[in-house]
Amino acid sequence: MSALVSTISSLPHTVWRADQMGSHHAAVVPTGHGALDRELPNGGWPSAALIELLLQQAGIGEMRLLRPALNMIASLHRIALIQPPHLPQIAAWTAWGLPAERVLWINTQHSADALWAAEQVLRNGSCGALLLWQSHIRTESLRRLHLAAQSAQTLFWMMRPLASAQDASPAPLRLALRPVSGGIGLDIIKRRGPQRDEMLFLPLHDAPAAPSLAPTLTLTASHAHLDRRLPATPAARSLSAELV
Amino acid sequence: MLALSEQAAQAGVRIGMRRGGVQALCPDAVLHERDAAREQEALDSVALTLLQYTPEVAYAEEASLLLDVSASLRAFRGRLALSRLVRASVFALGFTPQIGMAPTAQGAWLLARCQPRHGRAAVRRVIRMESMMRRLDALPCMLLPAARPYEEWLTGIGCHSLRDLRRLPRAGLQRRSDKHLLDALDRAYGQAPELFEWVQAPKAFSARLELPDRIEHAEAILFGARRLLLQMTGWLVAQQLAVRRFSLLLDHERGRHAIAPTPVEIALADPTWQEEHLTRLLKERLGRLELAAPVIAVRLEAQQLEAMQPPSESLFPEPGGTPADYHRLLELLTARLGNQSVLAPSPRADYRPEVCNAWVPAATVSRPTPAALHQVERPFWILEKPVALIMRENRPFYGSPLRLVKGPERIECGWWDGGLVVRDYFIAQGEASTCYWIYRERSGDQISWYLHGLFA
Repeated sequence: MSALVSTISSLPHTVWRADQMGSHHAAVVPTGHGALDRELPNGGWPSAALIELLLQQAGIGEMRLLRPALNMIASLHRIALIQPPHLPQIAAWTAWGLPAERVLWINTQHSADALWAAEQVLRNGSCGALLLWQSHIRTESLRRLHLAAQSAQTLFWMMRPLASAQDASPAPLRLALRPVSGGIGLDIIKRRGPQRDEMLFLPLHDAPAAPSLAPTLTLTASHAHLDRRLPATPAARSLSAELV
Repeated sequence: MLALSEQAAQAGVRIGMRRGGVQALCPDAVLHERDAAREQEALDSVALTLLQYTPEVAYAEEASLLLDVSASLRAFRGRLALSRLVRASVFALGFTPQIGMAPTAQGAWLLARCQPRHGRAAVRRVIRMESMMRRLDALPCMLLPAARPYEEWLTGIGCHSLRDLRRLPRAGLQRRSDKHLLDALDRAYGQAPELFEWVQAPKAFSARLELPDRIEHAEAILFGARRLLLQMTGWLVAQQLAVRRFSLLLDHERGRHAIAPTPVEIALADPTWQEEHLTRLLKERLGRLELAAPVIAVRLEAQQLEAMQPPSESLFPEPGGTPADYHRLLELLTARLGNQSVLAPSPRADYRPEVCNAWVPAATVSRPTPAALHQVERPFWILEKPVALIMRENRPFYGSPLRLVKGPERIECGWWDGGLVVRDYFIAQGEASTCYWIYRERSGDQISWYLHGLFA
C-alpha cells in the first residue's frame, strides 16, 4: 500500500484521488473570482490546455466572467478572437480597461478556416489568450486543438453550445454557463478533481443593470442625458397603445 | 547508356551499352537524350541553393560542387548537422547528393566519388589529415580523372590504388604521364595549394523551372515552387538580403490562344529570408488559387529587397514572442483568410455605434489611433444588423418580455453624411436576467424597437 502511495505521489499531474483536487503542470491565471478559483485545480484557468465553456446563448455574461483574466493577460500579450458570434465592440473593450491594440479579431467564413487559424495562433505563441467560438466541432478536431494547445503557453477558451455537454471531449476543464439574476451560474462538467453536482453561483458586479453603477454613469457621461423618466412599465392591458 | 533506373537494371541493362543493345534487352525502355544545358542548369540551381551554407562554392569536374565550410561549421552547429542540412536541401531540389568531407578539396572529391566495396559502407567523412591519407590510400587510382588516360599502363604495372600510385618514383611518373596527374595527387594529399574560382551569385534573382508534367491543381505547383524558393534562399543569404515582395509567375500551356502567365504576388510585412515561412505563405496562397489552364512552368522573381537584419539576441526574451513572430502570424493568416478577415480595431470618434466600432485589416495598422471614446456603457457584442423586435402587450419582446432597466441615451446625429440616426437606447433585461441593448427609433409617429447589442 505504501509503495502504491509513493508511486502515485510521483505522478502528480496524471493521477489524483477521486476526492481530492488534481493539479496542472502548466502555469495558471487566476480567474479573479475567489469562489471559482477554489473549485479549479491549481486555483485558476490552466494555460496550455483546452478549456471548454458551454453557453446557452451568447451574451449571458461569459465575457464578464473572463474579464479579470483578460485584464491580466492584455497588459502583456495580445488576445485573439476567432469567429465570435457578433461584432466585438471596441468601446466596451476599452471601457473594461483593455488596451485596444491588444485585440485581434479573426473573422472566418468557414469552420475549417477557424480551426486552422486557431491552430496557427496556438503554434505561433505570440498571443497570450485565444477565444474560439464553434457550434459544431468533430472530436478529432477537438483532439487536434487540444494537442496544439499543449504545445503553447496560450490560454485557450473555446465556446460551444450547451447541447454539446453530452459529448465526450479531451478538454481537461469543461464548464457550463447559465444566466442567473445578478451573476452567472456555473456547472463544472469536468475537471481534474472531484465531481461537483450543485451549480456554482458567481456574482458579477459589473452587470449593466446593477444599480450601484447608475450614479457614476450619469456623472461621467460626457454628453447630456435626457430629462425624462423611464417609461412606466404598464400592467397588461391597463393602458391603450397610443399612450405609450 | 549513362544512367538507368532500377527496373532497367533488373532487365539486364548495364551502363555503357549502346542504344540497340538496350532496345533488344528491354523493348519498353524509354530512352532520353543527354542534355548538357539542362544538366548545367540543374548544377547551377544546386550551387545557388548551397550558397546559404557558405559563400565559397566552386564547380568541380564531373557534376560536382566543392564547398569550403571551414568558416560555417560553428554557425551550423558542427559538420554532421551541416552535412545533414546540405543533404536535405539537395533532396528538396529533387536530386540525390553524395557528400564527402575532408581537409582538402580534392580529397573530399575523391571520397565523395568512392563506391562501397565488399558490401561495406564507404566512409566519406574524415576530419584529420592522417585518417584522410589512410582512406585515400585505399581508393582505386582510376577515380582520379587525370589518371584515366593511363589506365592500361597503370593496370599493367600492377598499380591499382592511390597508395601504389604514390609509391611510384615521381620523376618517372612525370615523364611517363602529364603534370596534371601529379598535381591532382599532391592536391589530394595536401602537398600543393588548391585554387578555386568561387561561384558568383547573380545581381538579381529570377529563376524558372519547367514542371515535369502539366499540372492542373494549384497545390501541386508547390513542390516546384519550393525548389525555386530554396534557390532564392541561397541567393538571399549570399547577398545578405531579405525579401519584402516576390512573385511567382505560372506559365500556362498554350492552347488555342496564348494565355498570359498568372502572377501570385506575395508581400511581407517583415522582410525575411527563411524558406519555411515563405513556403507556408505560398502554400496558403496556392490553396486559394483557381487555375485558368494547366501550368507547365513556374518562374520566381524577387522584386523588392532589403538589407538583412540580423536577429537581435536579447538576454531576456520578450514575453509572447518577438514582434517579428506576430507579423509572421498575421501574414500567414492573411494569406489564407484574406485581408478582410484578420482585423484590428480602429475606433472613430462618432456617437453612432456602428461608425465608432470600425475594424481595419490588422496587417495595415501598426498602432491604432486612440480615438476619444465617451465613457458610457456599451455592450460587448454588437449586432451587425439591428434586429427588429416584435411588441407584445406594448413591450418589446425578445425570447421573453424585456424590462427596461436603464436609459434612455439619445443618439441623434449623422445628418451631415446621410446616415442620420434618431434613436433612444435602453438597457433592457429579459426574464433570464440577460441584458440587451435595444433602441427605439423615432421616425414620424411610428415607434419601432430594435435589438442592437448584447451585454456579455
